[in-house]
Amino acid sequence: MKRPIPLTLSICLLILIVSLLVAETLTVKVQSTSLRNSPKFYAPAVQSLNAGDKVEKIAEQSGWVQVKTAGGAVGWVHSSAVAVPKFDLMASSKGLKTQASADEVALAGKGFNKQVEESYRAKHKDVSFVWVDKMLQIKIAAAQVEEFMKKGRLGEFGGGR
Amino acid sequence: MNKHTRMLILPAGFLAVLLLASCAAVQNGADLLAGTGQISESDRQSILKTSQAVSATFSQITEEQEYYIGRSVAALILAQYPAYDNPALNTYINTLGQAIVYSSDRPEIYAGYHFLVLDTEEVNALSAPGGFIFISKGLIKRCKNEEMLASILAHEVGHVGSKHGLQAIKKSRLVDAFKVLGTEAVRRYGSEELAQLTTAFEGALGDVFETLVVRGYDRKYEYEADELAVKYDAAVGYSPAGLTDFLQTMVGDSTTASGKGWFKTHPSAEQRLEKATGRISALASAPQEAPVRTKRFEQTIAKMK
Repeated sequence: MKRPIPLTLSICLLILIVSLLVAETLTVKVQSTSLRNSPKFYAPAVQSLNAGDKVEKIAEQSGWVQVKTAGGAVGWVHSSAVAVPKFDLMASSKGLKTQASADEVALAGKGFNKQVEESYRAKHKDVSFVWVDKMLQIKIAAAQVEEFMKKGRLGEFGGGR
Repeated sequence: MNKHTRMLILPAGFLAVLLLASCAAVQNGADLLAGTGQISESDRQSILKTSQAVSATFSQITEEQEYYIGRSVAALILAQYPAYDNPALNTYINTLGQAIVYSSDRPEIYAGYHFLVLDTEEVNALSAPGGFIFISKGLIKRCKNEEMLASILAHEVGHVGSKHGLQAIKKSRLVDAFKVLGTEAVRRYGSEELAQLTTAFEGALGDVFETLVVRGYDRKYEYEADELAVKYDAAVGYSPAGLTDFLQTMVGDSTTASGKGWFKTHPSAEQRLEKATGRISALASAPQEAPVRTKRFEQTIAKMK
């Protein structure tokens, strides 16, 4: 007869507690983003990150998270680009509410995905995706936005309010 | 009660408590019991599917799924209104839009935010989930400066960031979709599962499209988007009066435009004005309109036909 169920439960609880205490791993949940050298969008990129990449959280600062990649690179990502993986019961109390829940990570790639879109398009040949794809090709670099802000005397370039 | 039954009560009771907690907790509990051999793998799968289906809400739609819903909703919007193929204007709208996105609450979404001008005189702005934002030529023509245009785009960024479009999806579609989902990392579905998911997908698209184009959002979401527009305008450096100045142009409009688009799907301009004015006056300080921005706005839209 197997009997050490309470023991198994205790071990699992211990693992849970330990996992909350050790360094927090985050998963990139957007298609791609940049690891930046300071917590702002105009900051130079250290390297690019892709969906599913795992990073280790170091610090947090007004909506930004300082992280370390598996390769050892350190930089900043906006908290909306990363998800808290399973077991992080404390995430919501740490002000990272914009991040994905554990369920979101568990369901990644499932449900309404590319295959479902293909199936929908096969049924609705009259619905064109040409301009949807053209829209996605319009990419504005952070430097372009910064230039736009400067010329328009916006934000920090406003010279006092 | 025999020994064996008593042995099952403990894990069963433990699982029952977990069922009252979140879906993730259920998954953890089921994994744990399966690990100890108390429940079979098929029972574990069944518990997970049921808990996911029952607790199905819009908040469980992943970023990637939001993007795929948004792509198709955007395609349906573009079947209704043609795109305005004007690269200079679309670049301007996208640069301005991106500046707002950077100051918003959810700047990073699956494939980023993208803006497009619609070739219609109707006064309208629409945003599909996943960051596909549309603004009509008719609406741009009503704007007198960059501040007004910024406040319209900020209102739409607010809708996307707060997932207002996804909240239009009926729970039954999500229950249907989540029922199909296994817990394995399956990326290709079999034909039966795919057919069920496609039906749920079509239903979800219909729910969002109907809300965006025909019925309009719940009023509370419109007021929330106006509130966010005031917040984002001020954060970027635009005068939030851009919103109230724009709404003022819609007050008492009796032209043919008034029965369509924004007039039809939004609360009255008077009601919105009242609330937005309150929000603006609550700001400690607000940026002012700058002639340099008004000039570039006028130069850009002068080329619009």
